[in-house]
Amino acid sequence: MDRLVVSRIHSDGYHPDRRQALWLSAALICCSLTASAQKITQRGDTSAPFRTQATHLLGFANAKNNGTGTLSVQGDSLQFQQNGKPGATVKIALVRAVFLGAESKQVGGLPMTLGKDAVPFGGGRVVSLFAHKKYETLSLEYLDADGGIHGAIFQLTKGQGELVKNELIAQGVTISSRQDQSTKESAAEARHENK
Amino acid sequence: MKTSKCNLWIACGMALVAIILALPGRLHGQTAASKSSGDKEASATRWSLQVDQVDPGNLDLAYSFQLAIYENLVEELKKAKQFQQVFRDGDLKASDVPNLLVLKTTVEKYTPGSETQRAVTTVSGATKLTVRSQLLTREGKVVLERTVNGDVRFFGSNLRATHNLAHNIAKTIKQTSWSGSGQPPATLTDQL
Repeated sequence: MDRLVVSRIHSDGYHPDRRQALWLSAALICCSLTASAQKITQRGDTSAPFRTQATHLLGFANAKNNGTGTLSVQGDSLQFQQNGKPGATVKIALVRAVFLGAESKQVGGLPMTLGKDAVPFGGGRVVSLFAHKKYETLSLEYLDADGGIHGAIFQLTKGQGELVKNELIAQGVTISSRQDQSTKESAAEARHENK
Repeated sequence: MKTSKCNLWIACGMALVAIILALPGRLHGQTAASKSSGDKEASATRWSLQVDQVDPGNLDLAYSFQLAIYENLVEELKKAKQFQQVFRDGDLKASDVPNLLVLKTTVEKYTPGSETQRAVTTVSGATKLTVRSQLLTREGKVVLERTVNGDVRFFGSNLRATHNLAHNIAKTIKQTSWSGSGQPPATLTDQL
């Protein structure tokens, strides 16, 4: 008898909850659709400066090696800004060549490596099998004020390298004939990584 | 019994005298050696160095590797403080410098590795680089020629091999007694 009463109470209470849940999910879907539309608008807007998250591996002006920050095109300069620090800039006119490559790296850095080593019975090796991520490397060759050649390498998430390269080409950077060859090479390297 | 004790004392005394006599000579030798190495460094610092871009030869070496070797070389050679100035390839200021050597690097062998393979197996997946490094005068005379290796076997990304290679090249140049005194240099060819 008691059970029947309880179940009735529950069934009465659930109806408005379900409605609320339905409304909430509908509102969420609407929000996500609006957000994606805004994203597309940002990409389509050509006047907004191009920017992407990147890890500076080496060589870009006076930026710190292996530092994460924002790589952006600011007017006639390519800028890399780390959190709360003044950005390192290079004039796009001084960039001689842009090269794209692919690289697969273990995630987590040193703490993860030490953690994997601590796992007994070689369990860390199994973790290593799955704990890797593919990145794109963007290599730039540019000149300094004295004509000296510099090389800079950035690590970007997959697909972002192409966007930066296209942005630089749009700004007038020429791609040398070695570009295609190097892209083939990096593809071969990525294949080797997958083995 | 007494005589044997006496002999022991005499032997100890003679050994002590021998040590005392030998020590100043050894110390003197050390000073001379340090002086000569100081002279060598002083003569080497009279030279400046221009680092040329890396020549990949006939190998399929990714451009990021070529740039990384070049950049790491410039950094390591500056850190070594063996040369008065270290110039980059194409630097206009290098043309005004009187004693300039040019460092040419040609990749001879490249074995692409895999960080994941290294992490899983430990024994395989090493990235290996072998280059021929040449120090030349402005006139094109070879002062020093060495084959240097650089690799990453256990921890670190594949690009770490370029850092190790550059470090080994800088170390080789520093340790080799090449003629930096202005006389016609002797060619040194060896493998590290």
